[in-house]
Parts: sequence; structure tokens; C-alpha cells
Amino acid sequence: MAEIDSSGGGKKGGKKRSKKMSTKIDMTPMVDLGFLLITFFMLTTTLAKPVTMQLNMPDKTDTKETSPVKLSETLTVCPDVDKVYYYQGIPTEAGTVMQVTNYSETGIRKVIADLKAKVGSNFTIVIKPTKKAKYRNMIDMLDECAITNNKRYALLEIDPDTEALIKRSGK
Amino acid sequence: MPKVKAKRHSVSLDMTAMCDVAFLLLTFFMLTAKFRPEEAVTITPPSSISEKPLNTKDGMLMVSVSPEGGVYLATDDQMAREFMLERMANRYGIAVTAEMKKNFMASEIVGYPLGAMRQVLNMKPSEAKKLSKGIPIDSANNELSYWVGYAKLSNPELKVAIKGDKESNYKVFADIIGTLQAQNINIFQLVTGPENKPK
Repeated sequence: MAEIDSSGGGKKGGKKRSKKMSTKIDMTPMVDLGFLLITFFMLTTTLAKPVTMQLNMPDKTDTKETSPVKLSETLTVCPDVDKVYYYQGIPTEAGTVMQVTNYSETGIRKVIADLKAKVGSNFTIVIKPTKKAKYRNMIDMLDECAITNNKRYALLEIDPDTEALIKRSGK
Repeated sequence: MPKVKAKRHSVSLDMTAMCDVAFLLLTFFMLTAKFRPEEAVTITPPSSISEKPLNTKDGMLMVSVSPEGGVYLATDDQMAREFMLERMANRYGIAVTAEMKKNFMASEIVGYPLGAMRQVLNMKPSEAKKLSKGIPIDSANNELSYWVGYAKLSNPELKVAIKGDKESNYKVFADIIGTLQAQNINIFQLVTGPENKPK
């Protein structure tokens, strides 16, 4: 059936020898390869499924007063291309300082976690991506909110006050 | 009494049957594996730790953003597609022939301004790719708003998904969100790639 005549192969001097060669071929590596490929195809067909994160924006037509958020309990983050600006409080106040960090584990994630521990359950993150920011930066920021388990966040357009603050910080 | 001669068994197993099964399965998986549908633009979404799979069961309206900032629209709801074409063509006074309709239904995505619609739909979908530069969404000529509006009119249950390339500009995303919010669509599914959770 699946036997292969191997008399042509093997050692060079094989023909002269009268030793009878087996006509059966070892199929084990072939089967191994077969199953390896099966496993590969089975795993890759399910692994590449895209996932979604749901983003709920406030209803603009709904004028009902929602729970007010104190500015002192918010952290404003402005994701930029490879860094994140952040400040606490009101942008027009002289005491407000714009600080800068990065997207790493010890960067913005630590800032959020520290402030959340300080402020408590009313902690809100305000996300104002800069004009240069990429889509990836915004997703990263939303992801950070999910990682630090913050359900209170708002996605806003950047305002001139915040832009001026970034400019003033010179970072 | 003669000695019982033990029959010598071969220790090697016949692997032929196993091999047959393995390759049969291999062929099956290779043939049934669905290839990714051909896209007009290659979009690599950013990754997130979210674990919710993309639910395409109840109809999906997918707004895609290319790295250059072009906006594309796709839906898996065939009724809504037909309705969109009809209404959009009607709105801009474009007479739709059977050939144009066939091409529209055959192409996966919409990604051209309405001014180019007649030209695009008279070509084969494979040739029309070069003209698919995106749907205009600027405030002066926001065609995306109409497309989405008609799709929602046809099937109010459609969920809106946004699939942006990770290198696309945030501003385009903000414009899309603004356009959709103007129509009171406030829930978006952001399509991302999977990523491992830290810790």
C-alpha cells in the first residue's frame, strides 16, 4: 500500500550487499508534521478574532443634570504621540502645573493609581487628546482606564486653555 | 508434545492509516479556513486588553479609518446596503442601473465621495479600489452622516463599530464621533486587537 521501494536510496554500496533492506518507510515524522500543521491551523483560526471595547458617549440631546464632578477630584490627561500630559485642577489657575509622563507601566498608570488612592471613589479621568495624537494613543489611554479599573472617565475635545498650559510647560 | 512456537510479532506499527487521517484533517482545515476578506486599505487596529469578542450577529455598521485618514463604511446587513444605495442615489440624482447595483452589492465597502459614485459603480469592484479614497466627513460636505442615517433608518438595530488604524489621526476619530453623535448614536464598539492583561 504505502510501501516505498527504497532500494535505490541509502548507502552507495547498498546494491552490492546482499543484505535485505526493509521496504517499509518510517512514517512517524510525516505524521508528526501533519498533526503539527493541523494544530497550527486550528489555533490560528480562532486566535486572530478581533475584540471590541465599548465606548459610551453622553447623549447630547439629554439636558437632564447628571451627577456633578468636582474639578479637584479629576485628573486631566492629554495623550500626545509618545507622551502624556497631565494636570490636576483647573487649567486657567496659576497653581496648575502641567506634567508629562509616558505610556509605560511606571508612567501614566502609576499616576492614575496613586491619585485614585488619594481621591477615592469619585475620581474621574478627563481625556483630552492633543491635536497631534494618533488613534492608538486614545485607545491606549482608554485601556489604561480599564487596567486601573476606572469606570469614570470622559472623552473631551481639547480646549485652548489646556493647549496654552501645554505650551507654557514647554515639555 | 511439540513445543509451542511463539510467533514473532513485528514491533513497527503501520502508520499509513494514521497518516491518512492526519492529512485528511489538514486538508479539511486548510480548505475551510476563511481568508480575510480583501480590504481596500490595510487597517491595523491598536491592541487593548478588552476581551469582548466582536459580535456580528445582530448586524454591524463598520466605520473604518485608514492610516491616511480616509473614512470607509461597511455593513453586513444586505437589506440596509440596498436601502442605502437607493436613497443615496436618489438624493444626489444618480440613476442606478442593474450593473451598478450589482457592483455595489459585490463590493465590501463604500469609500468614495458621491461625485465619483457613478464612475466607481460602473467599474469592476477590483478596479475601483484606486478611486476609494474615503467618504467626505468635513462639515461642509458630510456624506458619512447621510450614509449612516439611511443605514440606521433601514435597520435601527445596527450596532456601530469603529475600526481605526493605530497610526490614523485622532482628529478623524473625533470627527466621526461628532457626526454620529449628531444623529444620537452614542454607543460605539471600538475594534481593537487582543493584548495580554498586565499582572
